[in-house]
Amino acid sequence: MTEAVSPRRIRVVFALFACATLLLTLRVGYWQTLGRGDLLAGATDQVRSDLVLAAQRGVVRDRTGALLATTVALRSLYAIPKRIGDTAAIEAAASKLAPLLGTTDDAVRRSLESGAEWLYLRRRLPEETAKAIESLGISGLGFEAEPKRLYPNDAAGAHLLGFVNDDGVGQYGIEGAYDEALRGSPGSLVVERDPQDRQLALGLRIARPPVNGADLTLTVDLVIQTAAEGVLREAIQKEHAPSGSVVVLDPRDGAILALASYPTYDPASVAKADPQALQDRAISWTYEPGSTMKAVTIAAAIDQHVVTPNTTYDDKGYAVIGGRVLHNALDKAYGVSTVTQILEHSANAGAVFVASKLGAEQLHAYLGAFGFGTATGVDLAAEARGDVRPTAEWYPVDLGTIAFGQGIAATPLQLAAAYAAIANGGTLYRPYVVATRRDADGEHRTAPVAVRRPISAETAATMRTMLTSSVDNGISNGAAVRGFSVAGKTGTAQIPSDDGRYLDDAYVSSFAGFAPANDPRFVAVIVLERPQSRLLGTLTAMAAFKSLAVDTLRALKIQPDRP
Amino acid sequence: MRAAPVRRAVRPRPRHTARASRVRRKGTTWEIRTFVATSAVIAAVFLLAMLYLAQTTTVSTLGYEAQRLQQTRDELRRQNALLEVDNARLDAPARIQAEATKLGLVRAASVPVFQLDQITAKR
Repeated sequence: MTEAVSPRRIRVVFALFACATLLLTLRVGYWQTLGRGDLLAGATDQVRSDLVLAAQRGVVRDRTGALLATTVALRSLYAIPKRIGDTAAIEAAASKLAPLLGTTDDAVRRSLESGAEWLYLRRRLPEETAKAIESLGISGLGFEAEPKRLYPNDAAGAHLLGFVNDDGVGQYGIEGAYDEALRGSPGSLVVERDPQDRQLALGLRIARPPVNGADLTLTVDLVIQTAAEGVLREAIQKEHAPSGSVVVLDPRDGAILALASYPTYDPASVAKADPQALQDRAISWTYEPGSTMKAVTIAAAIDQHVVTPNTTYDDKGYAVIGGRVLHNALDKAYGVSTVTQILEHSANAGAVFVASKLGAEQLHAYLGAFGFGTATGVDLAAEARGDVRPTAEWYPVDLGTIAFGQGIAATPLQLAAAYAAIANGGTLYRPYVVATRRDADGEHRTAPVAVRRPISAETAATMRTMLTSSVDNGISNGAAVRGFSVAGKTGTAQIPSDDGRYLDDAYVSSFAGFAPANDPRFVAVIVLERPQSRLLGTLTAMAAFKSLAVDTLRALKIQPDRP
Repeated sequence: MRAAPVRRAVRPRPRHTARASRVRRKGTTWEIRTFVATSAVIAAVFLLAMLYLAQTTTVSTLGYEAQRLQQTRDELRRQNALLEVDNARLDAPARIQAEATKLGLVRAASVPVFQLDQITAKR
């Protein structure tokens, strides 16, 4: 039997349906028109991911192509404790992980039970460790790649290279000076992802590729750098000296072949380094160079034709200037001596004699011309400029003391650059470390910069002969290398205290020289601070120079120029 | 002169039967045509949709494959970089010197250098 439905009820139902349909239509219309943007944005947010594409930091190599610094993505181990399992599973995981991470079971377990939903167990693991952990197949563990700056030669060239801090910013050395070029600029990628976090090929895709950092090739030779650090370390240990430095330059264009500083550090673990060790003593530290400056004083006097190598004076073991008496080392008197013999004997009185002939203004001008008192402009971070006081501030005695390297402050690099000018025929070059920079625009070669010509070629040739005689016939004989002509000069300088007086029994011993003297291919400066043997510290410096010279001459494949 | 057409005697059908048949045939033709046309359109749309889907699927699959290959490439590059670091570590002069010392090797006191012209003269 069919019950009749009242038309009124039908109309009410129809009206309800009509209203509902109208409301639904209006709502749909709203979302399709006014609310479309919000809806689309909400939907896109669920699948869209904005990524920063990190730029690869540039690689640093030595002049032969040996790798000095590179960035590699190492794997960081993270854990999601809830996915590992219950307490027993966490304990089992901790006992397996602890030996691989080099820690205790308890330490790993405490980390996993810290309450964190997600945590790093160890960042930037060595690849072998990461593989070993991966092979354990522990659920709840995962890896995330993070860039790490690696220095495969450990501490070799640490001061030269500098380091990269945790924020990826280069500090000190090449990393600091060339940070902008090495860093490059990051890119970005906006993509839509599927539920499995894979990029959709047909979805939204806005990409701006990163610009990788420039690759640098240095003028440094890793073999010479290693030799420089080796001889410095040996000399430091022998003399129980707290610090020291070595600079090796190519005098032909100012290219730095090696630059060593002690104490040193491992650039891969800077956090453990002594803050004092971060200072590059070859460029950031100044000292009174002592007798190595006699070569500069005599070069100036010969260039001004006020003396010749054969000019004589009567050496009484001391000189009087400005009412002060300045003595030779150990008060030795050499009698009638030539200017060449001043270098051979390292006679302070002789240097005072030459400086008196030259005059304060001329000496000051030549010091400036040789680059003392101004930064060399080397392409490394934190270079000191040294100190050469204006002549107006000189006491009369200063002409004498500055003539033998006391009363001015210089960096080892400045002294090396000055000796390079003598070695190369009279041109002062700006020292530089980066030979080529390769970026997206191609390869850019650094052009050597000739700063000025402090002395004539004739003066330079004369000085090379005199400095060779200093090694062959003088107190610098300890630096002689069999089969090669070597030119050089020792330096022993007193150390000024904070109150301006010189310390008793505290010296800086150094040696500056080049070889082969007839056609110099390298200049080296060795500096030892406060050697235990005091005045005899120069013997150690000379021995270090000799050892370094042998290695450098071999590395550069230079043929002997003497039988 | 053209010959006059020969007319055959045809028995005329009743008028009302012929009209009904013509209307019926006309209606059937229209239905068939509509059906065929609709079917063709549906089939074409279906084929186009299938083609589009096939292309989309192929592109998606290739996209995933490209991603997988990119990941493989990145990992190989990473491994290569690690190997280069290992190589540099092994080539480090300090390491070689240390190994040589362990083996009891000492540095040569002198390195003989032979001039090419001297060798040529001896020959």
